[in-house]
Amino acid sequence: MRLDRNGLGQMLLCAARRLSENADRLSEIDSRFGDGDHGITMNKIARLIEEQVLSWGERPIAVFLDDLGMAAMEVKGGSAGPLYGTMISGLGMRLGEEESELDGDSVRRMFAGCLAEMEEITTAKVGDKTMMDALIPAAEAVREAGSDADVKALFTAAAEAAEDGAKASEGFVSKYGRARSYKEQTIGTPDAGAVSTALFLRGLADGL
Amino acid sequence: MKMKKFINNPENLTSEALDGLAAANCDILYRGEDNMIINKGLATADRVTIVTQGGSGHEPAISGFVGEGMVDISVVGDVFAAPGPQACVDAIKLADKGKGVLYIVLNHAGDMLTGNLTMKQCRKLGLNVVKVVTQEDVSNAPRENADDRRGLVGCIPTYKIAGAAAAEGKSLEEVAAIAQRFADNMATLAVAVRGATHPSTGAALADLGEDDMEIGMGQHGEGGGGRQPMKTVDETAEIMVKALVKDIGIQSGEKVMLIINGSGATTLMEQLIIYRRCEEILKEQGIEIVANYVGELLTVQEQAGFQMFMARMDEELVRLWNAPCHTPYLTKR
Repeated sequence: MRLDRNGLGQMLLCAARRLSENADRLSEIDSRFGDGDHGITMNKIARLIEEQVLSWGERPIAVFLDDLGMAAMEVKGGSAGPLYGTMISGLGMRLGEEESELDGDSVRRMFAGCLAEMEEITTAKVGDKTMMDALIPAAEAVREAGSDADVKALFTAAAEAAEDGAKASEGFVSKYGRARSYKEQTIGTPDAGAVSTALFLRGLADGL
Repeated sequence: MKMKKFINNPENLTSEALDGLAAANCDILYRGEDNMIINKGLATADRVTIVTQGGSGHEPAISGFVGEGMVDISVVGDVFAAPGPQACVDAIKLADKGKGVLYIVLNHAGDMLTGNLTMKQCRKLGLNVVKVVTQEDVSNAPRENADDRRGLVGCIPTYKIAGAAAAEGKSLEEVAAIAQRFADNMATLAVAVRGATHPSTGAALADLGEDDMEIGMGQHGEGGGGRQPMKTVDETAEIMVKALVKDIGIQSGEKVMLIINGSGATTLMEQLIIYRRCEEILKEQGIEIVANYVGELLTVQEQAGFQMFMARMDEELVRLWNAPCHTPYLTKR
């Protein structure tokens, strides 16, 4: 299968719904060792995604993802805006402006570009209890998927790996942000950013 | 619990505070787009300019130091939250007078993220910017791991030193090198005896109980240092001075800047008592205080406690610290 502008728009809307539906849960997780506002911020990002998709117009996919990412970076409420903005911009970074239909190769470039952009702004690795606990495995799953994997299989693999990664973050000691000072106490609680990243990627896959 | 605070809708806290700052200091600064506070003198500046960023809730920091001789533009986020990178890029573009911009960022996760994204965008646009990071909290990492050290009150004297160097007409490279030299030779330790509440949510930022204090409290009550039973002011001062002198490696015969910065609910009377003891201890060790400040520069709402700041000084740094500046909360003539 190939993915066009409408298809990607539907995926993003589905991802936005997943984030909104789970906003309270995200805030609850975040409240244990953070500011408790992650759900509120993700709700703002979800609303932004909806607005932007509905006013997509004629912009190429790569341009739209970059615009959406830049807008998300300005969402107020801590680091989630800049991080999600970078992640979303990154998805479009290695797509050509002329690409109006995405295939498996495009999706591989989307995830590779996304990971590269994120690694440029954060040194967090798997095990540091951040959103990278979900994103890195997702990007790896896409990279390592068999050459016969199509768009659907790749997004599904990314979602599953991200969910496993978010679950695994429960066992990690926080290394970044406010939660960091709670050290071993953070074991047993997943990272709110990893959970929301998994929700976002699951939403993309389900929207296909 | 209902907060006994003079606030309207919590969503408008930052905006209303910035409006108030701009109204109260309309001779010095004005409010720009995207929560920017801009030095009025920027319009005619022909020099390196200074841009910084940070969350609100720490008044008078950071915007209370916008004005001649210190910060040209501060970009403010939400309460305790960094602004987005686009606003910072816009501020740097606006500030650039053809001589380049020094961009000062405090080491906190959100600020660093915005700082990195801003620099990335500035490189793309070919803007002439140098970033200096202040990271001087001795409590949460040893000096070798400076990247883990939080940025506390040290940003304020760094603004002053950098702003004065810029006013002398130095190049961006020179201004950045001076700011970096000062930042590399400074250290702060924060102590808290009672936590603050988050003004938007009413949530307690730290719980220290009835009898405890925490040395190494960080900026927002993150903690990370030594929680211990409350000590006398003189004992507390001794512990803290010792830690700072050791961290910077100050020797007898050297000169320092010493700042006692109230966190919000510790009285000036207490701060002066602390300063007095610090001065005695340093004198005994043959260390001379050649620059100082006692009072609130960077607060955390109504947190009780203070930050003790020390920096190694040389002749040039003393001259720059004493140079004229005119901002809402620090003026030198």
